[in-house]
Amino acid sequence: MIKFLKLYEKIGIFIFFVLGSIFLSIASPNFLRGDTILNIVAQGTYGAVVGFGMTLAITSGGFDLSVDAVMALTSVFISILIPLIGIPFAILISLIVASFVGMVNGLIITKLRVSPLITTLAMMTIIRGVALIVAGGKQIVIQQKLFMEVGTGKTLGVPNPIYIMIVLFAVFYFLLYHTAFGRHVSAVGSNESAAKISGLKVDLIKIFVFVIVSFTAGVAGTIRTSQTLIGIPTMSPGFVLVAITVTILGGTSLAGGRGNLWGTLFAGVFISMIYYGLNLIGVQIFYQMLSVGIVLLFALFIDGVRSRYLETMRAKGIKV
Amino acid sequence: MERTRGMGIRARIARRWENFGLPLLFFVLLVIFSTLSPPFRSAYSLISNFRFSSFIGIGAIGMAFCIMNGDFDISVGSMLSLVAAMGSSFLPKIGGVSAVLFTILFSTFLGFVNGVFVTKLRIPAFITTLGMMFIYRSLAYIYTNNTPVYIENPFWLFLGNGSVLGVPFAIILMLICYVVAFLLLRRSPFGRYVIAVGTNRETAMLSGINVDRTKITVFALVGLFVGIASVVISANLGSANPGMLGQGYEFQVITAVVLGGTALGGGDGNLWGAFFAAMILTYLKNGLGLMQVDSYWQFVAVGLVLIFAVALNRLKFTLLGQRQA
Repeated sequence: MIKFLKLYEKIGIFIFFVLGSIFLSIASPNFLRGDTILNIVAQGTYGAVVGFGMTLAITSGGFDLSVDAVMALTSVFISILIPLIGIPFAILISLIVASFVGMVNGLIITKLRVSPLITTLAMMTIIRGVALIVAGGKQIVIQQKLFMEVGTGKTLGVPNPIYIMIVLFAVFYFLLYHTAFGRHVSAVGSNESAAKISGLKVDLIKIFVFVIVSFTAGVAGTIRTSQTLIGIPTMSPGFVLVAITVTILGGTSLAGGRGNLWGTLFAGVFISMIYYGLNLIGVQIFYQMLSVGIVLLFALFIDGVRSRYLETMRAKGIKV
Repeated sequence: MERTRGMGIRARIARRWENFGLPLLFFVLLVIFSTLSPPFRSAYSLISNFRFSSFIGIGAIGMAFCIMNGDFDISVGSMLSLVAAMGSSFLPKIGGVSAVLFTILFSTFLGFVNGVFVTKLRIPAFITTLGMMFIYRSLAYIYTNNTPVYIENPFWLFLGNGSVLGVPFAIILMLICYVVAFLLLRRSPFGRYVIAVGTNRETAMLSGINVDRTKITVFALVGLFVGIASVVISANLGSANPGMLGQGYEFQVITAVVLGGTALGGGDGNLWGAFFAAMILTYLKNGLGLMQVDSYWQFVAVGLVLIFAVALNRLKFTLLGQRQA
C-alpha cells in the first residue's frame, strides 16, 4: 500500500490520463484522429505552461494567484506594442513586463513579509486594474495577421503552442532537476528555516521563482492573444484555478518540496481532455469551471489522504 | 486599553493606533474627500455611503471570525452571487420573507459545506475555498442561465433600501449584526474557542476544545453573514447578476478585516476595526468615483490598501512584541 501511494505521486496522473484516453476513444470516434489529438494537446498548452511556473512556485512553498491578471496584462501590452515596435519586440517587452510583475510579487513577499496569499490576491486586483487602465477599458484589435502564427500556426503539421510547451518543459525540467537552483527551490519548499540556516539565499530564490511564474503567465497570455488577435484586459478570469488544479493533479504536493513536472504536463493535457469530453456532451461553458473546481477538490482530497496516511505510517516507525 | 508603562515610545504609539487609528483615518479621509469634492460632503452622499458600507461591513464580520480562527474563505463572493440569485429567483413563488429566509439559510449551509470540506477532508482552507469559489460561481451561472434576476419584491428591497425613522435599515442591520458578533466573540465560550484555535491549534485541541466543530461553526457563520449581505446588496442593485455580483468581494472583505487590525495568522482580532475599515473602504471607493477617478484606479487603490494594511499590521505587531502572522 505504501509503495502504491509513493508511486502514485509519480504516476497517478498518468493513470488518469490513460483512463481518460480510453474513455474518450470509446465515447467518440473522432478522438483517435491525429488532428483531434493535436488540438486537444494544443488547448492544454496554456494550462500546462502556467502550470510549470505554478509547479515551481508550489515546490518553493508559495503560490501565485495573480497569473490570470498577468496574462491579461501581457495581452494588453502586446496589442498596444505591436503596431509601435513590431511583433518580436512587442513580445519581448511584454514578457519583460510580466516578469517585472513577478519580481514585485517576490519583493513584497520577501521584504514586506506579506504572505503569498494576500500579496498575490492583492496584486491580482491591482494588475487587472492596471491592464484596464492601460487598455483604456477597451479590447484592442491587433491588425498584424502574422502574429496569429504564434498561437495557431503549424510547423510540420504540429501546432506551434505545442512546441512552445515542449521547449519550456525541457527548460523547466533541466532547471528543477539538474541545477543547484532547482535543488535550492525544493529545499526552501521543504523546510524554509533549515534552508536559511544552511546558508541558502531564500529571499533571492523566492523572488526568482515568482519572476519565473509570471513569465510563464506572460507566455500563456501571448499564445492566447495570438489566437484571437485581440488584446483583452479582462482575459481569462479564473485561470488561476486551472493552473493550480493542473499542478496538484499532477502530483505536486501542496506541502512543497517535491515538484512533479511530468505530472503537470499530463495534467494539463488531461484537463483539456475533460473540456473536450464536456464539449462532446454539449454542455455550456460554465460546466468547465465547475468540473475544474470539482477536479481540484478531488485532487486535493487524494493528496491529503495520501500525505496523512504516509505521515501516520512514518510516525508508527514503518519505513516509508 | 492596556497599560503601556515600561514600553518604548514607538510601542506606545502603536498601542494608541490600535485603538484610535482607524476612526482617525476615517475622519481624515472624510475631511480630504469633502474638501476635494463637493458632492461628497452632501448629507445624501454621506448617508448612502454609510448604507453601502454595510455590504462589506456585514460580510467582514464572518470573515473576521474566520481569520481569527486561522483560516481564509475566498469563496464568499461566489457564495454571495449564488445565494442571491437562487433566493431572489424564488421571490415570485414564495414571497419576500420566505425568500430572504431561504437565502440566509442556504448561504449558512454553503458555509457549513465549506467547513466540512476543510475539517474532514483536511484540505487547507484557502485552496478548498478557491475550488469552492469556482464551483459556486459556475453553479450561479448554470442556475440562472447567465441571466440576471430582477428583484421587485417590496420586503426584499426594503432590507437594502428602506429606512426606519430616517435611518437606512441596512445600517440598523449592520449595527445589530456587529452587536451580536461582539457578544458572540467576547461574551461567549464559543468566541474564546475561536480565538484559541486561531492562536494555536494544537494547544486548543489539547485543552479539550473541539477544533473541528469550532471551525465548521465559524465557516457556517461566514455563510450566514454573507447571506445577509447578499440580500442587502441585491436589494440595493435591484437585481442579482450571477456573473458580476460579488466579484472581488472576498478581496474587499479580507482587506476590511486586515485593515481593521486582525492578524492574518489567527488569534485575537478587532471587530470594530473591521467596521471602521469597511466604512473607510466604501468611502474611499465612492470618494474616488465622485472625483471622476477612473474606476480602474479604484482596483489599484484597494489592492494597494490591502498590502499597506498588512505591512502596517506587521509593523504594529513587531513594535508591540506580539506574535507575527
